[in-house]
Amino acid sequence: MLEIKELSVSYDSVQAVSGISFVAETGKITTVIGANGAGKTTLLRTISGLIAPKSGGISWNGSEIQGLRPENIVRAGIAQAPEGHAVIAELTVEENIRMGALFRLRKNRDDVRAAIAEMYELFPRLAERKNQKAGTLSGGERQMLAISRALVSRPQLLLLDEPSLGLAPLIVEQIIQTVSALCRETGLTVLLVEQNANTALEVADHGVLLALGKVVASMPAAQLRADESLRAAYLGY
Amino acid sequence: MFKKMDTALRNLGVAALFFVVVLLVGKNVGPYNQSQIAVALIIFIGVLSINILTGLSGQLSLGQGALMAIGGYSCALMINNWHLSMWIAIPLSLVSAAIAGYLLGLVAARLSGPYLAGTTLLLALALPTIANRFETVFGGETGLSIDFGTPTQWLSGIVSQDSFELWQLFVALIFATVSLFLTCNLFTSRSARSWRALRDHEPAAELMGINISRTKTQIFAISSAFAGVAGALYGLRGLVGPSVFGIALSLSLLTGSILGGVRSILGAGIGAVIVVFLPDWIGKAMHPFALADQLTNYLPALLSSLLLVLTIVINPGGIASSLYALARRARGNFKK
Amino acid sequence: MQTFLNAFFTGGSRGAIYALVALGLVLVWRGAGLINFAQMGQAMFSAYVASTLIAQGKNYWIAFIAALVVGAVLGAAIDILVIRPLKKKSGSAILNSPSMREAIPVIASLGILGILQALAGMIWAGDERGFPAPVSTSAISLGGKSAPFTPFDLFVIGTVFAILLATSLFLSKTSVGLAMRASALNSEVARLSGIRTRSIRTLGWVISGAVASIAGLFITPATNIAPNSLDLILIVGFAACVIGGLDSLMGSVLGGFILGFTTSFIGVYDVPEDIFIAIFAMLILVMLFRPQGIFGSKAGRRV
Ligand SMILES: Nc1ncnc2c1ncn2[C@@H]1O[C@H](COP(=O)(O)OP(=O)(O)OP(=O)(O)O)[C@@H](O)[C@H]1O
Ligand SMILES: [Mg+2]
Repeated sequence: MLEIKELSVSYDSVQAVSGISFVAETGKITTVIGANGAGKTTLLRTISGLIAPKSGGISWNGSEIQGLRPENIVRAGIAQAPEGHAVIAELTVEENIRMGALFRLRKNRDDVRAAIAEMYELFPRLAERKNQKAGTLSGGERQMLAISRALVSRPQLLLLDEPSLGLAPLIVEQIIQTVSALCRETGLTVLLVEQNANTALEVADHGVLLALGKVVASMPAAQLRADESLRAAYLGY
Repeated sequence: MFKKMDTALRNLGVAALFFVVVLLVGKNVGPYNQSQIAVALIIFIGVLSINILTGLSGQLSLGQGALMAIGGYSCALMINNWHLSMWIAIPLSLVSAAIAGYLLGLVAARLSGPYLAGTTLLLALALPTIANRFETVFGGETGLSIDFGTPTQWLSGIVSQDSFELWQLFVALIFATVSLFLTCNLFTSRSARSWRALRDHEPAAELMGINISRTKTQIFAISSAFAGVAGALYGLRGLVGPSVFGIALSLSLLTGSILGGVRSILGAGIGAVIVVFLPDWIGKAMHPFALADQLTNYLPALLSSLLLVLTIVINPGGIASSLYALARRARGNFKK
Repeated sequence: MQTFLNAFFTGGSRGAIYALVALGLVLVWRGAGLINFAQMGQAMFSAYVASTLIAQGKNYWIAFIAALVVGAVLGAAIDILVIRPLKKKSGSAILNSPSMREAIPVIASLGILGILQALAGMIWAGDERGFPAPVSTSAISLGGKSAPFTPFDLFVIGTVFAILLATSLFLSKTSVGLAMRASALNSEVARLSGIRTRSIRTLGWVISGAVASIAGLFITPATNIAPNSLDLILIVGFAACVIGGLDSLMGSVLGGFILGFTTSFIGVYDVPEDIFIAIFAMLILVMLFRPQGIFGSKAGRRV
């Protein structure tokens, strides 16, 4: 279980996240939705240890993780597929995936091999493009690669930052369904950040609505989805 | 408008005060220290050229000694071949260094950090080979000898005729004072503001309508002009040659700039004094220990490099920035 | 013809050494984003250590290994003692501007060069000393005629090729190599993948220091060591990187060979004084017309 407690994060002068609290239950999909600049990416980057919070805490399965380095956060079982389908363009697809498992290689060589094979099963399109440079992939494939790179570390918590960004609805649907199936089958916890509220709320169990760095609503996804007034006020449709 | 006049007047006051204080000190120390003060004044001008270039605009030149050499050689050639007076030759060598700096700036404007650093360092290292290549003009390894000459008649009231060292100090002081005044104005000018914008955020500066490459080239030329004056004066101490303007000179300018504070004029002064007098201080401090020559020879270089690295790691703003911080805190306490 | 072949082989072995220097520079550049001007200081220091060992009667290869270790340790020390603390300092006013963030570590590396040179001067009295080659440095004679190369030329070229091959295999085939490439290309994604980029960067410094030390050992049988005798080599290595492409490992290595041949042919057919002017001119031309380097990729240049 991931618990965000009164978390505040600021850049030099801008306060991007102001005292937010919510919980992402184990084995469930929690989605954080909100307009541009709501602070969603900032939240995920803070969880991953890329930014230090100004105040507040993040507890993961009972232990405080704020202030840990990103490489140790990954070792604690939290992996992120960052915004903008971030993969390393100059490396091949295979290398990008392997990269996500390097830190487990020494202890668990066989399992790493198995995990890489599973990624190709999950996203067969990547298997066909194994030796291609990641820079030559389409947007959708790149997102699959970013997710695989995160999943191959066998995380307990997967942080997804706007996987739908710039992708066709069909691909988005496919990616989201894959992740949600994984969640059901393996008990993976997912924290899904989205602007595309409809798709996200459809698969999520719990929804958190963020606006200008504050939590405006935190309720079961279905309920949030049904709330016309919240949607009209904060998401504009 | 009035504000502009105000700052100009204030800067004039600062420069005048500087002139008087250094002259008084200079007249009351022995000949050795007089010539050391002269060197410090010259290095001060050289460090100013770095603080303008790096401190104001963020461009790094590791070969400022090469631009000094251009000033030095021009000055020597004009004095020896055309028999010009030093008072004409020095401003003219400023021009030739500025032209060289402008050309270098044209290239530099297209280069980012590491490329510029390496290229300027290469220039500084390549210069001696150029002096050897055109030996008939530049005098090869030996170089060209020139000197400050004897004090002009009407000045003998201020500088006694027989003291070469004081004369040297006096000439250096005149140019250092003018440089100080000009730099003060430069640092408070409107252009400096756009240069800082360029240094801190190039894309934003571009949006503000600043022509990046033209501005960078201008700064390079201005900074080189200062380096040229410093080089001419440095050579006038007796010799213009590859050994005088070696890579060590570029490094000590850089050391002075960082130790004192690369963004501050006061810092340039502090840095110049440290770089020039450090060997003397070390010599004095080590004298009772009677260390082997091999240690004492390298001790100044070791300490100044060590100071450079420590400053960068501990307090990259240099001594001046700490002084300013202290002053601010004192003023704050006073107000309370 | 004999002159041509002589120049050719001298150029080859000199180019091999420049290629090593360039390799060392690129390894640090890609990992840490700075040109390490202290590199040949590290090489000089380790060459002195090796020469001291040999003077004490130790075997060439023991001295060789010692030099490698000294270069590597110095590399790690520079990263841990100077570069890392600087990264942490990014809050201070002067390091806020991107241009200064680039400039300050470069100045620091020059300061380190100064420290190493002064220390070497103190320890070894700054005397120039020779350094033996493991094999003969006079021309082989083939059937009564002397061949255009010496066994030492061949030794240098062979060793350098072995090192280049090993490095490229290490980078492309091993997991640590993958971690190194990933950290250099995109340290954020690398960290999110669990790679300890800080340690990986230090490893880059270590390898670079070791490689530079070999370059130092190879150059010293030709020119005696003195505290500052390797400065010029560093600058040639830098030019090689830029000419070949600072972001491309193989490009820099090729740049080293190009400069090796250029300097050798100029030295033979023209006057040696022109060498630096030629290098400078090549450098400027490449930077103006092909800033990513002859072999660099278009997008490669980091600005
Ligand atoms: N590196 C930064 N420096 C300064 N301010 C930043 C930085 N990154 C983000 N911000 C600011 O913090 C606020 C929140 O940004 P964040 O990227 O977290 O929003 P977001 O919800 O992910 O938006 P989007 O949906 O557009 O991705 C914004 O106002 C943004 O301008
Ligand atoms: Mg975002």
